Formats: sequence, structure tokens, C-alpha cells
Amino acid sequence: MNIVVCIKQVPDIEAPARLEGGELKPDMSRMVLNAYDASAVEAALVLTEKHGGEVSLLLAGPESASETIRKALAMGAHRALHIVTDISPDEMDSANSAILLAEALKKMEFDFVFCGKQSQDSDAGLAGAMIAQKLGVPFVGNATALEWSEEELVVTRQDDRGRERIALPSPGLVTCSNDMNEPRIAGLRGIMQAKSKPLETTPVSELGLSAAELKARTVVRSVEEKPGRQAGVKLEGEPEELVREMFRLLPEEYLNE
Amino acid sequence: MSEWVVVCLDSRDGEISASTLSWVRECQSRAQQAGYQTGALVIGPGSKERIEKLEGAGLSRIWRVQSEALESPLNAPHLQAIEQALRTIAPKAAVFPSSESSREMLGALASALDAPALPDLVSYSFTEEGAEGKRPVMASRFLARVSADGTPVLLSVRPGSSTAPPAGGPVPLPEPEIIEVKHPDRDRTARLLEQLMPDGQRTNLAEAEKIVAAGRGVRDPEGVQLIEELAGLLNASIGASRALTESGVFDPSLQIGQTGKVVSPRLYIAVGISGAIQHVAGMINSDFIVAINRDPDAPIFDIADIGLVGDLYKILPLLIEELKKRGGDG
Repeated sequence: MNIVVCIKQVPDIEAPARLEGGELKPDMSRMVLNAYDASAVEAALVLTEKHGGEVSLLLAGPESASETIRKALAMGAHRALHIVTDISPDEMDSANSAILLAEALKKMEFDFVFCGKQSQDSDAGLAGAMIAQKLGVPFVGNATALEWSEEELVVTRQDDRGRERIALPSPGLVTCSNDMNEPRIAGLRGIMQAKSKPLETTPVSELGLSAAELKARTVVRSVEEKPGRQAGVKLEGEPEELVREMFRLLPEEYLNE
Repeated sequence: MSEWVVVCLDSRDGEISASTLSWVRECQSRAQQAGYQTGALVIGPGSKERIEKLEGAGLSRIWRVQSEALESPLNAPHLQAIEQALRTIAPKAAVFPSSESSREMLGALASALDAPALPDLVSYSFTEEGAEGKRPVMASRFLARVSADGTPVLLSVRPGSSTAPPAGGPVPLPEPEIIEVKHPDRDRTARLLEQLMPDGQRTNLAEAEKIVAAGRGVRDPEGVQLIEELAGLLNASIGASRALTESGVFDPSLQIGQTGKVVSPRLYIAVGISGAIQHVAGMINSDFIVAINRDPDAPIFDIADIGLVGDLYKILPLLIEELKKRGGDG
């Protein structure tokens, strides 16, 4: 079973980020593998380790994103393709990212494509479904568990209300939740091996896409600080006092129907 | 010729509740401001009954799609139905309630219809060319003002972000128009093996008015029982942090946070939750937050209106006792 995992380099959401004239300036020294994609890589590795096959990585992004690719290779993926774009992050949205990735996927051989269910910076969660639609393959979103059974991938999907178990034939696409697993931390051996693993790069121009196709469909006009929440009162002391004080301070209306 | 904004109400998103109704009214009033009329596209099993619940939403047209294939919870038939219906209706904009199911629907429809998509908005308006709105980014630390031009523009909007005025008197529902859709046979397609529903909770968490949420500090069955008792007395829904859904203590559908549900209840009681940024992203919009945690430096106290520093195993029984007393008085 050969799996292509689409990955993205994103700012660490726990790192400080500042606003400058309505523009978000994340800490560029703290760019990381999207946490949801890390779960997708882990899931692909677990499946291929058990049932055979190879894991390829696919990333569209600036040259500097190769660092993130090496990290995912160090986890154990076999090879990677880096579509090198000089499109600025502001000009990239789900739509043109999905077009780039889908176009590259059309030229790759795979049984399944795994994506993170969303990107931890934008939380849009559109790209996976967009890619599946462009490739014309069935897809399952928000997978929380995967097993391989008689030539099909059995996907457990978490919905807002309940869960479904779905059999997905090849070729198909799955978007992965980070609840699926705990992504492995690459060891020294993996990091050393990653240096010699094939990392192919291709410029966007070689994909043969038109300027219109490469244009973002949505615009971020500005970014603002979310209206902050003030810390209220912090009560310390004996439990009896705390509870008494809480009932005194908590407006009655919040307890009523 | 009038132009339309369509609210898409798919059976995959569940019942039409009071909060769905106010969400629809909100959309109707925003469409009206931009000079558009609003219709509802009601998809899937039970569409007849669901349409009846839309009375008073100020809708000018209702389209209904029902076919046997839509009994399936899989995305493919619903996607085919919505895509074909939107091609038939040709609206200026299509608005979906923000949910796990509509998220994937929005992406696939954007590709299928070559339409721009703005997911997970907390506020929005329609423009001449499309739509604009605000959405949380970076785990809800920031709000991005986004816009998109195109027809139709696809939006998903969070429930509970509505400030719609009450409807001005009952408006009769328009007669639903049936849209016929085709479900082309595909030889290689996903198959449903089983559907697992958690033991019924009173309310959908995203719409709950009160939530008691449990975190890592709730470490044994005794703690779970205290949470359940407190929630029962308050008539609150139960939520959980990722630590407790992952360890299987609570059902995954109860997870609140960046990965799980985004909630905005009037009262949120966080018990044994430290307040990691990923959890806070899902509950920061609660009206009033009470936090109970032993660690005085837990980040949850930075956003709590009332913080109780102490052992939940000592505090909850006292809280429960007091509530019982009050219940007895009333």
C-alpha cells in the first residue's frame, strides 16, 4: 500500500505572534510541521510498517519549508516531493494550495492520500476535500482511526454527533484528526537517515497551471487581536469558603434556566 | 430578477433547533441588508418535518431534496445533492452551519462549483461581489477579516454567533419546491460499515446553555460521577478536554477545543482543566467561566471570571450539596 501524505509548514501556534498594521507576523523562526499532518504521517507509517508499502510526502511551499520535510522524513517516510513556490503566504489559500497538491498527485502513484484535517494556523479544513474532488476519488473527513482489511481501508470518522466506520477502496483520500495517534519523535538514527532520503523538488511552473488557477480565491483583509478576556477573581482558601464565595459572586441568572 | 441567498440545512447536521432558527433569521436579515432574498435548501431524510420548524424565519422560498440515497450519512450522496441543487437554484451565496460535516462539504463543493469558500465565520455580510466576514485563526488568538468574490460564494457560519432580532410576527412558510437529483453509480466508492451513536446527551454541545467540562484533574470514576452529578443538578451538558476523550473516559463527541467542538454557553464550569491554548480555543466565547483547579498558576485562571484554587474532589461535593439545598428551597 503506497500512501502520499500532504504536509504543510505552519507557525507554531504557541509561539508569540505580533500584529503590525493589521498584518499577522508569526515568529518565522518557529515554523513547524502542522500537528494534524504529523498525525497523518504517523498513521501512514503505522499502516505501511504493518502491511508493507511506502510513504511519500508532498508539500507545496517556499524553499525554507524543506526543513519541515526533513523532519517528517526523519519520522520514517521514504521520500518526498517539494513543490517550490514563491507565492507569499498571504496569497496562498485552501483553493490554490489544493490545486497545486492535486496537480502533483495526478502525476504520482498512490493507493491513498492522507492529509491533516485542517491546518493549525488557519483552521480552515477545506484543502483535503478540495483535493479529493479534483482527483475524483472518494474521501472520508476527520478520521480518528484507520485499519487495513481485505484490500480496503477501514476508517473511523468522528462526526459532530457520533462515529461512523467506513470502508474506503483505493484510490481514496482521508483527512486525519490529531486524536488518531501520538506522532513519533524522530530519533538520531532517523534524522541521519533522512539526510540521504530522496527529496525531489519541482518549481510550480512545471505543473503547467495557469495564473488564474494559481490565484487565491479568498483574501485576508486584516487580522485583529481577539477582544481579550479579563481574568476575574481567583479564590484561594478552604473549600467551604471557596464554594460560599463562588455562590456569592456568581450572578444568579447563570444558574437559572 | 431577484437574487438569492440560500441556507443549506442538511440532515447530516441534525435537527433544526431554536438556535438553528435564529441562525437562519440572522442570515435572512444580513441578506436583506444587501438586497437579497433568502431561501432554505433542506436536504435528506425528515426534510418535511424539518421544514415545519422553519416557520417564522422569514424565508421567501424553500427547496427540498429527498432521495433514498440521502439516508446514508456518507458525504458522497449529500455532496451530489447539494451540488445539483445549487446549480439549479444558482444563488449569490450559500450558507452552511459550521460543523464537522459541513466543513468537508464546503471544500468539496468549492472545487465542484469552482466557487470561493469562507469557512467557520463568526460574523459576516454579503457584498456586491460576494461576501466578507471574520473568522478566528491561530487557535482563536486572532480574528481575521476575510472576503471572497464569486458566485456562488460558500460560507459556513458558527451557531451561537447570532444576534438576530425576533421575527416580526408569524410569516407563513412558502410551499416547498422539490428538486430532483441524480446519484450516479460509481463502482469505487466508500461504504458504510456501521454507525455508532453515543448515549444520548440532552442537548447538542455546540448549542448548550450550560456546560460542565472535565479535564485531566478528573482522574477516576468517582470524579466522573461528581461531574455527572453537578451537570445533572445544573441541567448542564457535559464536555471534556482532549486528555479525557483520548483516554476513553468520555466519548470523543464531547471534546471541546480546537480539534473538537467550539461552544459558547452562558455558563462554563471548567473542572480540572489547565487551560491549554487548544482547549481555550473551543470555549473562550462562553459568557461566564468558572474554573476549578489545584494549580494556582493554571492558565485557565487567566480567562475565568471566577477561579477556585483547590482540590476538585473536595470542592465539587460541597458545590453539589449547596445546589441540592437550593433546589430543595425552590
